[in-house]
Formats: sequence, C-alpha cells, structure tokens
Amino acid sequence: MLKFSVKRRPRKLKGVWTGCGSGPSERIKYLRHWVGKLIRDERIEGREDRMNETRGYAEQLISLAIQNGENHRPTMEMATKWFKEKEMTYKLFKVLVPRYENYQTSFTRIQRLPIEYPGNPYYNVVLELKGNPYPSIFPEQRDKAGLLNNILIEAAKKDFYNEHRQSQVVRDSMERDIVGLERDTLQVRMDKSGSGKVENVKTGSTDGTDVDKL
Amino acid sequence: MSVRKFCTLCMQNASQSALKSAKKFYSSSTKLTNTEVRKKRNALFEEEKQRQRAAYVKRVEKILVNYKGQPKDVKLLMNKGISTPYNCAMHINEFLMKRSIVALVNGELWDIHRPLEEPCDIEFRHMLDQDPKLPNQVFWRTGAFILGHVMETAFKDNVYVELCSFPPIPVEKGCFVYDVDLKLPDWKPSQRELTSLSMVGGELWDKNWDFERLEVDASLALKMFEDNRFKREQIPDIAQKHKQKRVVLYRMGEHIDITSGPLIANTSQLYRFQVAQIHHIKSRRFGPLQRVQGIAMPSALHMHWWSWDLLCKRASKPMDYLLPDYFISPSKEPTQQKEDNVRAAVEN
Repeated sequence: MLKFSVKRRPRKLKGVWTGCGSGPSERIKYLRHWVGKLIRDERIEGREDRMNETRGYAEQLISLAIQNGENHRPTMEMATKWFKEKEMTYKLFKVLVPRYENYQTSFTRIQRLPIEYPGNPYYNVVLELKGNPYPSIFPEQRDKAGLLNNILIEAAKKDFYNEHRQSQVVRDSMERDIVGLERDTLQVRMDKSGSGKVENVKTGSTDGTDVDKL
Repeated sequence: MSVRKFCTLCMQNASQSALKSAKKFYSSSTKLTNTEVRKKRNALFEEEKQRQRAAYVKRVEKILVNYKGQPKDVKLLMNKGISTPYNCAMHINEFLMKRSIVALVNGELWDIHRPLEEPCDIEFRHMLDQDPKLPNQVFWRTGAFILGHVMETAFKDNVYVELCSFPPIPVEKGCFVYDVDLKLPDWKPSQRELTSLSMVGGELWDKNWDFERLEVDASLALKMFEDNRFKREQIPDIAQKHKQKRVVLYRMGEHIDITSGPLIANTSQLYRFQVAQIHHIKSRRFGPLQRVQGIAMPSALHMHWWSWDLLCKRASKPMDYLLPDYFISPSKEPTQQKEDNVRAAVEN
C-alpha cells in the first residue's frame, strides 16, 4: 500500500547522466545507485524528478521486506540484486524492517531546497528516511499558543464561528419553512397562451403573480 | 489633531448632556474636582512613601538573592527593604530590565519595583515566555488599572468621575473592564470620543512611568479615598482580607488605585490601548454605573491592524461577566446569580 501521494500525471522520464548510455537499463543502474545511497546515508540530495522516482522504489523495497521477511526467497533475491553492497541488504532486513514495522505513515520524507541562483532549472530536494540520527531539517518550533495575541485571536475566532453556526442554523430552519410552504401549497398553472400564474393548490385562488414577470 | 482637542470634543458632548440634566459634578462630600482629588492623594502617598523609606535608611541590612535563569545563574548581595527585582536585573543584564513583566520571589508573584524583604530565589517572567500564563494575567490586570487612569484624567473638571471597581476578567473573554460612575446616564460615546479616550492610554508608552507599590494602613487609605464613595465602602473589606489589615496601593504617574495583585513593571511595556465601548449597567449595591471595556497589547507582541480591529469589535460587545452585584457576600443581600459567576466568585 502506498503511504505517500503520487501525482496523477505521468512521470516524465528524463535522461540520466550523459555519457553512461541511455534507455531503461541505464535508468535501472542509476536507480540502484540512488536507492543504495539512500539506504546507506539515510539522507540524500538531488534533482526533484530523480529523487521522486527513487522514493517509490525505496518505499516498495522496505514494505516488501516488512511484509515477507528475510526468509522469503524472491524478496531476498530482489534485495541482493538492488543493492551493490551486501551490507545494505543486511541493513534493510536487520535495521530498517524493525524500525518501520509499525509505521502508519510513509518511511521517507521529501523536502524542496531553496533555489540558489543561477543554478539548474530543477528544484533540488532532500530525500531522507524517517527516524534517521541526524538533526531534523526543520528547526523545532516552540508552541506559541499561550502568547497573549494568539489567545485573543483564538477566542475571537471561536466566538465568530459559534455565532456563524447559530445564524446558519436559524437560516436553514427558515429556509426549510419557506420552501416547504411553497412546495406544498403553491403551484404554477399554465394557460393556453403559455403564460403561468401562481396558484394556491388548496384554495384554488391566484394572487395574480405572473410567473413571466417574476 | 492633539489629544487636548479630542478630549475637548469628548467634553463638549459630556458637558452638554450634563447641562441638560443639570446635576452637580463635584464630589458629594468635599466638593473637589478630579484634578484636586488626584493632587491630594498624591501628596498623601508621597508622604507615606518617604515615611516608610526613612524607617530603613538608618540601618541597611544585606540579603542574599539567588537568581536563576538566562543568561546564567548568579548570586547577588542586595539591600533588605530597599533593593527591588529591577535592581537585581540591573546587575545581571539589560534585556532583563526591559522585558521583565513580573518576578517570582520564592515562587510568589512579585512586582518588579517592590522591595525584597528576605533572602530568596528570584526568577523573571516576560510576555514571550515558554509559559506566559502569569504575565498575561498581570498584563490584563494592568490594563484595567490603566482604564481607571484614563477615566479619571480624560474628562474635564466639570465631570466628576468616581471609580468603582475592576473585576478579574480572564484574558479569553477578550477585554478588561472598569466599572465607573460618570453621572452621565444619557451619554452614548461616539467613535471619536472612544478614540480620544484610547489616545490617553496610547500615550503611556512614551511616558515610561513605573508602577509603584505601597502598603498603607486602612485609616490612611480611607483618608486618601474619602472623595470616592465606592472605595470608602470597599476599603474595610479589603483590609480585612489582608494579613496585617493593610491596603495595597499602586501608583502610576499620578494615578493611585487599590488592587491586590502585581502589575507590570513600566508603561513602556504597554503599546496599544483601546477603550472599546462604554455600556450602562445597573447595580443593586452601587446604583447605575458605566462599564468601560478596553483592550491592550504589550510592546513585545505585534499585531496587524486588521486583527486588532477584529479584537476591538469583540471587546465592544457587552461583557456581563462578574457584574458588580456578584461580589456581595451572601449575608448582606441575596441576589440572582448566574451559575458561572457564582463559581467564579467562589474560586476567587
């Protein structure tokens, strides 16, 4: 099961490093390189499109390892084939699986980096495994809910929405009364000429309102 | 436009309605105006302050004060009965002097300019603390205190303002309140008048007035407040609650009032001030009163004018919390009390 969002539009498979050949086989090579690097370093930087690609493969590997375990032959084969280094397969099954066994969210996190002008036309991005030992990318924000201005604004917001909800309830009930009344008792009666007159069904009387002129 | 002109406009309306109702606007007992009463009170306050100081000047004792906090823990040797937490801050760092709203002396809330009595552990609290609950309460109490100052000073001398009391309204309610007797039953303040009243509070930031605390005997307090019929009634009750049967007074500039809790250190810590609205209320104990509602912001916190406007609109709605009648003790007069106000009175 995918635990992170994927865009609906098809991924544009841009070319990989020039001079290494091209096509699907080269693509697999660079994916192996980056996935291995991610598992090894737990935090890597690169072009947004490439990191997005590797993210899916890395997450799939980890979730397969969690689902099937190391004794499952096809999973073990896949893992050994994916990683250039043997230590990475060991790390996957012995370190990452126990870490991510009970996760409800995705195992990786991706965050855009600031643009350094002139630079390249693509966003650079940080892709990291959750629970890594490095200090977090975002500084820890202190809780500012207790500050005087925030308390006052929150209280004002609460008041506003309570009032809004009350008036909405009143409006809804009024609408129901009016609409119900009209639906039951009033009807448009069409003449041969094509003009309509609003007629009270119960009493049969019209108050002369011409539908065309409404 | 200067404040004086705004106040004049305010006063034109007030004086016109005053002339219409043809009432006397002097203190009923001594026939003084607000300015004269203020001068008299200040003279008595100053005299008492000097007298209390003189008791310590003869022999200065030293006390060991333990400061814990930023930038580092320090031990200070201060003068008993003379040194204040502000003096301790002067020895430590400038930012402590400027930003501290209130101090905690042996865990007890203490004014910044209140002299220390015994060897203690001292901490400072400011508006941007990790847990600013206490500074918020202190600030809100100061706002109500300042409302009293605004009402006593803004009006011209032909209007005699008698301050009644200010209840401890929590910050979440969105405004602080002072119940006042303006003797203007038909007055509905216009936006301009409210703005001119707010400007009196807004000027305080520039004035850098300290909030001084003084404990006086109930008899002296009665003498100082003999021109205010409400305070005269309240002082004996207030003195009863105090351990040494004394009354705690606070002075800001020339305004003196009675309040128990600590106030902020200096008016430079208050930045925005708004008198939101004045509502007419009736009280069984005190008669018809005007409830002045206000809102304020400290200089440490910033707010966009749009959000400030929103808060002012909320503050101008009638605040029925802790009306003057709810502080009557059950033995004196049974009153119809709302459940939450009863709980509030019991908790207080």
